[in-house]
Amino acid sequence: MTEVMPQPIRRRDREAQAVQAVGRRPSDIERRPWESAAVFALFALAYTAIGGWLVVQRHVVGFEALDRLNRTLMVWHNDPPKLAAVGFDHAPLSTLLLAPLTVVPALARSLWVVPLASALFAAGTMTSLNTLLRRALLPAPLRAGVLLALGANPLVVWYAASGAREFVWLSFAVAGIGALVAWYVTADVRFVMIAGLCFAVGTLTGYGTLAFFGIGVALVAGVLGRLGAGSDEVEGTTVGFATPAVYVVALWTAFNLLLLGDPIAWVTGQHQSTGLPAGEILGATLRLVVDGAPLALVVLPALVVVGVARRNALALGLAGMLAVAIAAPAVAAWLHLTDEPLHLRNAVAVLLLAVVGGVWLARALEEQGRLVAGGLVAALLVSIPWTFHTMRTYPYQDLESVAVAAVTDGDQEGATAMSGAAVGIADEQEMAAWIRAHVTRRGSILTDNAQTFGVMLLTGRPDLFDDRVDAGDAAWSAAAHDPAGHVDLLLLSRDTSRDLLSRLYPAAAAGTDPALVPVMTTDRYVLVGVPATYVRPDDAPVLDTTAADAASTASTAGATS
Amino acid sequence: MTSLLPGDDVRTRLRTVTAPAEAPEAPAVVHATPDPEGTRLVTLLLAAEAVTEEQVEAALVEHLRTGDAVGDILVAHRALAEEYLVAALSQLHQLQRVSLRGYTPDAAIAQRLPERLARRLQAVPIAEADGVVLLAVARPLDDEDLLRVEESIGRSVRQLLADRREIDQLLQRVHRDHYADLATQHLMRTQPQMSAHVVITTAQKAGLIAVLLAVVVCAVVRPGATMVGLVGAASLLYLAVSVYRLRLTLRALGASLETDVTDAEVAALDDRDLPMYTILVPLYKEAGIVRRLVRDIDDLDYPRTRLDVKLLCEEDDVETIEVIESLDLPPHFHLVVVPDSQPKTKPKACNYGLQLATGRYCVIFDAEDRPDPDQLKKAIVAFRNAPGNVACVQAKLNFFNQDQNLLTAWFAGEYSMHFELVLPAMGAAEAPIPLGGTSNHFVTATLRELGAWDPFNVTEDADLGLRLHREGYRTAMIDSITLEEANSQVGNWIRQRSRWNKGYLQTWLVHMRHPLRLIGEIGVRDFVSFNLTLGSAFVLLMNPIFWTLTTMYALTRAGFIEQLFPGVVFYAASAMLVVGNFVFTYLNVAGSLQRGQFGITRTALMSPIYWGLMSWACWKGFLQLFTNPFYWEKTEHGLDAGHEGEVAA
Repeated sequence: MTEVMPQPIRRRDREAQAVQAVGRRPSDIERRPWESAAVFALFALAYTAIGGWLVVQRHVVGFEALDRLNRTLMVWHNDPPKLAAVGFDHAPLSTLLLAPLTVVPALARSLWVVPLASALFAAGTMTSLNTLLRRALLPAPLRAGVLLALGANPLVVWYAASGAREFVWLSFAVAGIGALVAWYVTADVRFVMIAGLCFAVGTLTGYGTLAFFGIGVALVAGVLGRLGAGSDEVEGTTVGFATPAVYVVALWTAFNLLLLGDPIAWVTGQHQSTGLPAGEILGATLRLVVDGAPLALVVLPALVVVGVARRNALALGLAGMLAVAIAAPAVAAWLHLTDEPLHLRNAVAVLLLAVVGGVWLARALEEQGRLVAGGLVAALLVSIPWTFHTMRTYPYQDLESVAVAAVTDGDQEGATAMSGAAVGIADEQEMAAWIRAHVTRRGSILTDNAQTFGVMLLTGRPDLFDDRVDAGDAAWSAAAHDPAGHVDLLLLSRDTSRDLLSRLYPAAAAGTDPALVPVMTTDRYVLVGVPATYVRPDDAPVLDTTAADAASTASTAGATS
Repeated sequence: MTSLLPGDDVRTRLRTVTAPAEAPEAPAVVHATPDPEGTRLVTLLLAAEAVTEEQVEAALVEHLRTGDAVGDILVAHRALAEEYLVAALSQLHQLQRVSLRGYTPDAAIAQRLPERLARRLQAVPIAEADGVVLLAVARPLDDEDLLRVEESIGRSVRQLLADRREIDQLLQRVHRDHYADLATQHLMRTQPQMSAHVVITTAQKAGLIAVLLAVVVCAVVRPGATMVGLVGAASLLYLAVSVYRLRLTLRALGASLETDVTDAEVAALDDRDLPMYTILVPLYKEAGIVRRLVRDIDDLDYPRTRLDVKLLCEEDDVETIEVIESLDLPPHFHLVVVPDSQPKTKPKACNYGLQLATGRYCVIFDAEDRPDPDQLKKAIVAFRNAPGNVACVQAKLNFFNQDQNLLTAWFAGEYSMHFELVLPAMGAAEAPIPLGGTSNHFVTATLRELGAWDPFNVTEDADLGLRLHREGYRTAMIDSITLEEANSQVGNWIRQRSRWNKGYLQTWLVHMRHPLRLIGEIGVRDFVSFNLTLGSAFVLLMNPIFWTLTTMYALTRAGFIEQLFPGVVFYAASAMLVVGNFVFTYLNVAGSLQRGQFGITRTALMSPIYWGLMSWACWKGFLQLFTNPFYWEKTEHGLDAGHEGEVAA
């Protein structure tokens, strides 16, 4: 054989040129599925039990959770079942991921479903943190200390046990950050993909995840670039990391364009917030961090110092993420992108990012790692009473002070939250019980589901209602203007400022319309009968759909007022 | 009989130096000596200047490592022509030589020795004279084998030494009808229910017609509900396939699922213990890449004296046959000419070659394949480490010309996903694996016992994977790569892919002839896995329909389309649209990253265009299943000029 044939590049040569581990499996921590399962089970049970006690016995119920649960109930059991019930008010997966909890209506009716809606995700977050702690090479006692001290933080407990959506997106964000840490430690490219997938799902559970994702992109590209990876490797890895999140953003943008006519409606929303004066934002942000997550004030500069001094890119990346977590509420308030500027709920993300940063400091500082972890545990323990105090006094909040009062004072049914919202669930339970006992015909109760979701959820029978989800707002509006031709009953909120139906029938909502006689009344709701001969008076109010939409959106943002 | 005793200068020299008085002493360079016969052979060859001292020394080193005959080693490394070795051996053993080139003996005589014995001993009766049968042998037979031959023939025999290649060719000519018959008919005769020679059975036809009739009746009575039902069923299948693939991928991303074979284990192998390994290489109109093929096989880290390379050529492919003959390859390369008959398929050629195989293990490589040099050794270690029911070891496939154009990049991404993620996960789950077309290593005896490949199935590899599974055998994946040539031309790619999809449908029809029996044999879980794996072909068929509906709805908001997707159907379809599309795109991205093919990651993002081509090819294959089911859409190779890319390490 004398013919000269080209000698191409050999595969192992190419693999050897890669900065990351490809074509081989780098060493990593041992897989311990049982430990992960145990951590998950422990925190899921604990938060469900605490949440059950708060919600079922002390009646501290966040209505935002009820709204999302009712939407998922309608996904399964509405007449007809409607995926559209998920709506555009929240990031879609923050609602859709709860759907398994409402497959069985009996569970959906039970208030126990409320703590479950957050406890499972909080437990997932703790599981990710435990894996992160193992990658930080911390011994079991220190790992347990960090997890228990963080898990016992009152703010964490409240958001993990109250059905709030915070932990839904945080669980994916923390898992994504954990995967990035794993990638940084092992150079295994698979973790980049896992991180990308986590951030993508996280984005659809909470748009704020996108900020962390952005830092992640810079981190991946920066680390590879610094290590001398070729342009193909930098580009390919970054594309692999970014693809899932870019895909979901593009998809959601397209859906917004197709269904709402505004591709960035998911960014701009329909918020009614007047925001805060720019001058107040800085001070309020500082107060949010000091009151809610003071640990960040130590961890952030420490990460920067370690990042610069030890050329530790991940420390700088985590510092960036922590800084973003602190700055994001301020920016949202400044741009009027939120109805709840600088709300205390924002402190949870800051606290978790601070803990993640602290854990990485323990790993990065090697010889002093255990000391740092010990300090982290001590700081978390010390912050428990501090946070308890914050929940009582912090001005921008929903039911945090009520939760504290529930612990110290007992049942909160009928109490008033710091925001002015009425606390309790008895009205919804009474009305739901009456409907379940007396109404059987599907679609026989006309209602504005954006306001009466609590009642609908507790009936477990969304099919009994003729709501705005069933056939869209136009069909619902037609029925609202001619109820006799469509339904037997109207379920109205007493609050006529937000309930579209109550706005059409203010007298009935007040129980004074002689033609629409109440059949069941509570402090918050009234159910009126619609005679077959009922005709709306010519001078009756007409629906202003623009205001109505805004009202309906606002109604889902927090507790009822 | 043509000339039986050719002579030349070397032979003359060899004859001269064998005179005892003139025999020189063994040269000083031979530090390690073989057995006495080998020593005499080396002495003879050196004296005749048939080999150099350096060549002998290298051969002796290999002899010490492997224990194989020095003469065979010299020939295998092209240091010595086979005919010279035969001449030397004839001198040493005082046996006459015979040339069999172009010689066709009387069939009645040649077939006196049973084919199996003839093949094992490499011996062929070529003539009879005075009650003595002249027996052409590759190597002198020992007394025991000689006795067996004589008992079998019923005559005393006289041995004549012949070139191993000529013996091999003569054996093929003598038994070609037998080989051809078995290659085509064996599976059909012994396991007709497993053969795709009948595309669709009567029972399947009846069932299919009944279903179609039921659909038509329903469509007449309740057109809306029927359409919803069809769309719903299609959506659920689509979703199930997507979720299954995602699950496999996530599993593979989280762990190393291949059968672990370390470099140390490969290095620890004792070459003396290495078995004969058969390499089957089907070739058709691939004369242009034969030289490269030989180079790549020569690059394998395996003693050449223990390789049994079958270059399987179709009888009408004169050009390839001539090129192979012109290369004057050493005897471990065997030119196998497959008689021209229908079906003219790769599996038939492989079945033909398998009958001549002498290896304990065998593997298929395509002509353009570039396997990792240590792949055979890795496979041996994998077989040794794996449970006893592992009868097949599948290496990973990928492409060396991934950078040639967009199509090859897409193709490489798809292969990376399939072989880096999906198949390892299936292997770890012990699910039925649709084998890749090449680089599947078998235990030869098991493969024969199973009836080898179905010559009527155009994805005989996928079919064989399932037949292995049904018989209780398992397939393991190893982390070794064979690089192939990716199709770089759309038309050529469509032809290849249409054949694959046709074969998938064929395979599905064959194994679903008795679904309950299949469940009984492999269990519900593997039954589901099998259907979801081959279901990908149905997904490709459905794609254009759903794309059209989605586009029409986006443009027109047509009410009738909305009515096709009520409730749960809408959920499945939505998940299919949102999750399914993403999953299939990202699997390609993940596969390329997993393999470190960073340069093609961005092209994976455009894979929806690739799906269009896949659906096109699938429809072509689907239609061909009815019009020309056994037609083998030939893939043209050698279109990668200038894109050598990379080779395995």
